[in-house]
Amino acid sequence: MQVVPLSVGRAARSWDEQHLDVAAAAGQIGAAPTGGFTDAVAGAAARFVATWERHVSALADQAEACADGLRSALEDYLRTDQAADQDQLALLGLLHEIR
Amino acid sequence: MTRVITPPPVPRAVPPLVVEPGELRTMAADLLAASAQVDDLGSFVAGAARIGDWEGVASAAYHQAIRPTGRCADAMSLALRHVARRVDQHADTMQELVERRWTLEDERAHLVDTIGALRGEAAGAFLVAAEALQAACDDCALRVRRFEADLDTWVTEVIAEEEGMREAFARVLTLDQVDQRYADVEDPADAALAAAPGTGSTPAEVNAWWGGLTQGQQRAILAASPGSIGNRDGIPPGARDAANTVALDRDLAEWGFLEDRGLLTADEERWLENARAAHDARRAIEQGIDPVDREPIPSQLYRYDPTAFDGDGAVAVSAGDLATADNVAVVVPGFGTDGASAAYHGERVLSLYEASRILDSRQANASMFWIGYDAPDNAPWSGGWDAAGVIDEDLATRGGDRLADTIDGLRATRDGDPAHLTVIGHSYGSTTLGHGAHDSGVPADDLVFVGSPGVGGDTDHASDLGLDTAHVWAGANSRDPIANLGNHGWWHLESALGGAGLGDDPTEEAFGARRFEAESATRAANDGFGALADHSKYFDHDTESLYNIGQVVNGRYGAVREAGPVTDPWYAEPRDPEWGRAPGAPDTDGRP
Repeated sequence: MQVVPLSVGRAARSWDEQHLDVAAAAGQIGAAPTGGFTDAVAGAAARFVATWERHVSALADQAEACADGLRSALEDYLRTDQAADQDQLALLGLLHEIR
Repeated sequence: MTRVITPPPVPRAVPPLVVEPGELRTMAADLLAASAQVDDLGSFVAGAARIGDWEGVASAAYHQAIRPTGRCADAMSLALRHVARRVDQHADTMQELVERRWTLEDERAHLVDTIGALRGEAAGAFLVAAEALQAACDDCALRVRRFEADLDTWVTEVIAEEEGMREAFARVLTLDQVDQRYADVEDPADAALAAAPGTGSTPAEVNAWWGGLTQGQQRAILAASPGSIGNRDGIPPGARDAANTVALDRDLAEWGFLEDRGLLTADEERWLENARAAHDARRAIEQGIDPVDREPIPSQLYRYDPTAFDGDGAVAVSAGDLATADNVAVVVPGFGTDGASAAYHGERVLSLYEASRILDSRQANASMFWIGYDAPDNAPWSGGWDAAGVIDEDLATRGGDRLADTIDGLRATRDGDPAHLTVIGHSYGSTTLGHGAHDSGVPADDLVFVGSPGVGGDTDHASDLGLDTAHVWAGANSRDPIANLGNHGWWHLESALGGAGLGDDPTEEAFGARRFEAESATRAANDGFGALADHSKYFDHDTESLYNIGQVVNGRYGAVREAGPVTDPWYAEPRDPEWGRAPGAPDTDGRP
């Protein structure tokens, strides 16, 4: 790693936000009502909703993995590079997942 | 000699059709809102997730690694959006099939009655009548055959529609299917949004751009970027409502999710409160029943931004269809208003809608509350009152500009089919309305000021508001202490303190507006701040105020019950001729 700017840490935070937003969307799909269909369609609708809740949850997990990956990169940088103290202090705050 | 009569066959029964189109639309809205969220992830990967000032091997690996996530999100968003649209279309089709089923049921019942009658006649028929009876039976048999053909068509269509819906679900069930069908497919919203008029464009230009898009492009924008059109003046009310509904559903899901996990920030808590209030306002209106046709009242979410004004929120919700109503009323609330008070204002515009319908059942109406400006928080009833001089006109000045833009936008969407449009300012909202009309021009047919603490320091006369004074109306309960804050006569806060206060009382004779009766049957015995409740009764049912506002909204000026203005002789206190009049309670809701 040549340079780890603060923007890497900030991007990790943004991925965390995306993770939460997409996880909420997965929940919304899972909670979508399927009781309004006729009997002939209700089963297909229920299957679609359950399957897509999993698809979108997996997408949310990918976002979280991106956030974690960026934080790992930051940790590696802090362990191996004795950069200026000031930079380190600024970066330390970005190492932890807020939510 | 006997004659054999061949009776017509009994038609088949109509199969049941159990379906809930309303529930289907709810599902479609949920899927559409989720697709918007997934689309945001795709946009994020293509934009903000890229770290331009990070170089090296790790950077290259990161940017390489996130690409599939973005591609997948884009494809999933498109797939979800298409299924959501298909479910919406399914709801419409099934609704139509349900209605056709009712018709078939009626037809069958009529045929069964006719056949029963013919059989009864056949049992006792004389030879001379047999020929006519057989002819009637043959005619009925023909109608039965037609009915059966219609029934076959209906059954075929139900089956085809159900099959089509099942296929739509099955077509994108796996991610491989999604990838094959939607990966690298250009989102029709992208090109359409790229051609959108820039900031500073007029509502008419925005309206022309929107009208020039294909339906597919419009639908794509609603799903992919609801925020870009939901609050844009010049976009038609139906499209704004659809976009804001997507945004509202998404926000409720997102912040509700965080709330359940204890992860809401303080800001998000306020935004969620605003979102829930908008939802409640809309639900309260839609649970109303039109007093004339007994149908549920439609509503439109015309503006929705729960984060606006430093978290106070902006929201506008209508009772009735703004795009088609003969009469449109826009209510501008005042002190203490923010997004969280939306449900309260929803009830007010519901009352105004009901009143205007009761007062003239031949006209279609829409009433909307507009919380589109940052109103003063220090309402006297919430403990923050600190004299009128402290509350200045800055917020009203800025709010007036926004109000003028909003009314311009409404007008632009009804070009060639203009509604009769009335803007009603209540409390500090009347100051905002005064500024909007005076400073920017509000293209309304009528302006109404109720419970006004002043119409703004620059407006000295109704003729300053850009309308014929015959269309400038004012109502004030004689006990209302807020309405008594306006300037009277030649000596007042503004003249004594160099611009303090909120301007002139619009019910005063010198102002030149048409005052209408606005007393309440439950008004306080005395004035002063003990009578503060009278400031909040102008939109209550069976009040003089709501009755007269409803008549103005309907353009029935002759039916407005006018009142004498406040006078302020130089040698005495202001005199209100309404003080001693016994208030009436005209019917505004059709209920005893």
